[in-house]
Amino acid sequence: MISRRTFAALVASVALLPSLGLAQTAPAPFDNPGQVDIALVRYLSTGDFFQAYLSGVEKQAAALGVNLQVFDSRQDAALQADMVDQAIALGVDGIIIQHGLTESMKEAAQRAVDAGIKVVAFDVNVENPAIPQVEQSDAALAQLALDQAIADHGTEWVAGFVHVAGIAPLDRRAAVWAEVKAANPGINEVAMFGTLDNPIANSVANQARSVLSANPNIQVIFAPYDEFAKGVKIAVDEAGMSGQVSIYSADVSTADIQLMREAGSSWKATAATNPAVVGEVSVRTLALLLAGENPGAQVIVPPTLITQTMLNDLDIKNMEELGAKLPAFAHADVAMAPWMTLPPR
Amino acid sequence: MKPLSLTDLAIRYGFLLLMAGLIVVFSIARPAFLSPQSAVFILQSVAITGILALGVTATLVVDGFDLSIGAVATSAMMLSAYVMVIWDMGAVAAVVFCLGMGALVGLVNGLLIVKMRVPDLLATLGMMFLLVGLQRIPTQGNSISTGMMLSDGTAATGAFAENFLMLGRHRIDFILPDLVPLSVVFLIVIAVLVWGFLELTRHGRVMYAIGSNAQAAALAGINVAGYRILAYVISGVMASIGGILLAARLGRGDVASGNNLLLDSVAAALIGFAVLGAAKPNAFGTAVGALFVGILLQGLTMMNAPYYTQDFIKGAVLVVALVFTFALSGRVGRARG
Repeated sequence: MISRRTFAALVASVALLPSLGLAQTAPAPFDNPGQVDIALVRYLSTGDFFQAYLSGVEKQAAALGVNLQVFDSRQDAALQADMVDQAIALGVDGIIIQHGLTESMKEAAQRAVDAGIKVVAFDVNVENPAIPQVEQSDAALAQLALDQAIADHGTEWVAGFVHVAGIAPLDRRAAVWAEVKAANPGINEVAMFGTLDNPIANSVANQARSVLSANPNIQVIFAPYDEFAKGVKIAVDEAGMSGQVSIYSADVSTADIQLMREAGSSWKATAATNPAVVGEVSVRTLALLLAGENPGAQVIVPPTLITQTMLNDLDIKNMEELGAKLPAFAHADVAMAPWMTLPPR
Repeated sequence: MKPLSLTDLAIRYGFLLLMAGLIVVFSIARPAFLSPQSAVFILQSVAITGILALGVTATLVVDGFDLSIGAVATSAMMLSAYVMVIWDMGAVAAVVFCLGMGALVGLVNGLLIVKMRVPDLLATLGMMFLLVGLQRIPTQGNSISTGMMLSDGTAATGAFAENFLMLGRHRIDFILPDLVPLSVVFLIVIAVLVWGFLELTRHGRVMYAIGSNAQAAALAGINVAGYRILAYVISGVMASIGGILLAARLGRGDVASGNNLLLDSVAAALIGFAVLGAAKPNAFGTAVGALFVGILLQGLTMMNAPYYTQDFIKGAVLVVALVFTFALSGRVGRARG
C-alpha cells in the first residue's frame, strides 16, 4: 500500500524530472551546478547602476543554479585585490571582477588565472588574454542617440555638446560625436560645456543656462551622460525653451524616465544598456568559460534606444516596466548557449 | 603570589580566547579559512593598518593622539607616485621623500602640540585636513597613473619603478611558493621593533612614564618635550611607510583609496588596550588588535556577510574592548592601588 508520504515523494520526483532532463544536457561542471562556486569581486557598489548590475548577476547565477559569493571592496583598490586572493583561497571555480583599477587588479587577476580559476572582467582592463572583457559599448550608445537626433532633425542644426575630457567612457562617447560632426558638416556646434562638480545636474544647469542665453538659436544638445541631460533639461525649462531645444543623451534611470515623460519635455531620446542585463551577461560569459567554451576576448552588451515616444506609447513609468515592455532592454542575446537557463522574466 | 581570580583571568586572557574561538568557528564554517593562503591574506589585509596602528600606539603611550596618520599615508602614496611618474625618479628617491615627508609632518605635529600648546586632537585634526588638500593640489585632484596627461597637455613620462612595486607585491616562498607578501614581513619586523623599543629600552619606559604622569617625569629630569615630539615623528614615519606600501600595491596614486586607514588603525590600537589586560597602549596588543579585526572581517566575508554588518561588528568589538579596558581592568587597577 502506498502511504501518503511516498505518494507525495513520487509526485515530487515526477515534477522534478523535466529539470533533471535539462540538467543532463548541460556540459560539466553544470551537470551538477550546486557544486559550482563563483565570486563577484566589486570595486563600485553604491548607486542605481551597480545595484541593478548585482541583481542581474544574482538572478543569472540562481537560474544556472550555481553558488554566488559577493565581495564588496567599496572603492578600496587594495582591498579589492585582497578579495581576489580571498576568493582564490576559498577555492571558487570562477571570479567576476567588476570595475577596479588596472594597476591593482592586473596581478591579482593573473594569480587567479594561475590558480586555474576562470576569470571574467567587467569594465576593467586587466590586460590578460585569458580573461574576457564584458563591456557596454560607449561608442554604440553615442551612435544610437545621435542617429535618432539626425532622424528627428535632419543633418543641419545648431548644436550644443556637454562633455568633460579625461573620463574614459565620456571620451569614447565624444569621439563618436566628433565623427558624426565630421560626416555632417551641416551640424554646427556653437557651444561645448560640462562639469562633474557635485551635484552634477545642478552645476551643468548653471552652465547650460548661460550657454542658452548666449546662443538662443541652439536646436539640439547632445548630453551623453544622464546627469548632464538632467542639468540641461533644468536650464531649458527655466529658459522657457523646451519647445525649441531637443536633448539627446545616454544612460537611463527611473528618474530619467519621469523627466523624459513630462509634458512637453525637451529630452527626446536616450541610449542605454540595462545594467541588470550586463550582470546576467557577465555570469553567462563566466559559465561559458567554465564549460570550456570560448566566449571571445570581448563580450559587448548592445545598447537600446529609448525615445520619449516609446515611453509614452507603452506607458513606461520606471526601470522595471522598461524591462518588461521593451524586450530588447530586458535581454541581450550575447554569451548564450543552448544549455543555459535564463532568469525568469 | 595570590592566585588569579576568574575576573582577572577573563580580563587577561579573554580577548585571546575570543580570538581563538573565532578561528575555530570560522574554520568549521569554512574549512578554507585554515589554509596557509587564508592566514597570509589576513596578515596582508592588516599589514598597512597594522603599521599605522603601531605609529598611533607610540603617540598614545605619551598620552597623545595622532589623527593625521591616515592623511600622512595617503599623502605618502601620492608623493611617491608624483616622484616616480612626474619627476621620473627612482624607487629609492620615492621612499626617501616619503619617509622624510612623514618625519617632517610628525615634527610639525609635535612642535604644534609641545611648543604651541595646541591640544593634540586639534593639532593633528588640522594637519589631517591640510594634508588631504595638499596632496591633491599638484595634480588638481586627479589620481596619478603612468602616462597620465599633465595640465600642460603633455603625457607624464615616468613610471612606477619595478623595485618600488615589489615592496607591496613581491611574494616570498614560504611553505608554498609565492606565499608571503613583503608587506607582511614589514609588518612583523616593525611590530617587533616598536615592541622592543617601547618595552625593552630606557626610552620606551621613559615614554610610558611621560604618559602616566608628565609632570613627575619632568621633575625626574626627563626631556618630556623631546620625547613627545619623538612620538609624533615615529607616528608620521610609520604612516608614511604604510603609504609607501599602499602605493606599491596599487601601482598608482589613487585619490579614492585609503579613506578607512585612520579609523581602522585607531580601532586596532584601542582594541590593543584590552589584550592581556594591559589597560594601556602597547605594541603587542596593537598587533593582536589589528590581527583580530583582520580575522573577524575575513571570516565574515567568507561567510558572505555584507559590508555593513561587518562595520557593525567591528564597532561592537571596539566597544566591548573599551569596556574591558576602562571598566573591568580599571576596577582591578584601583583595587591594586
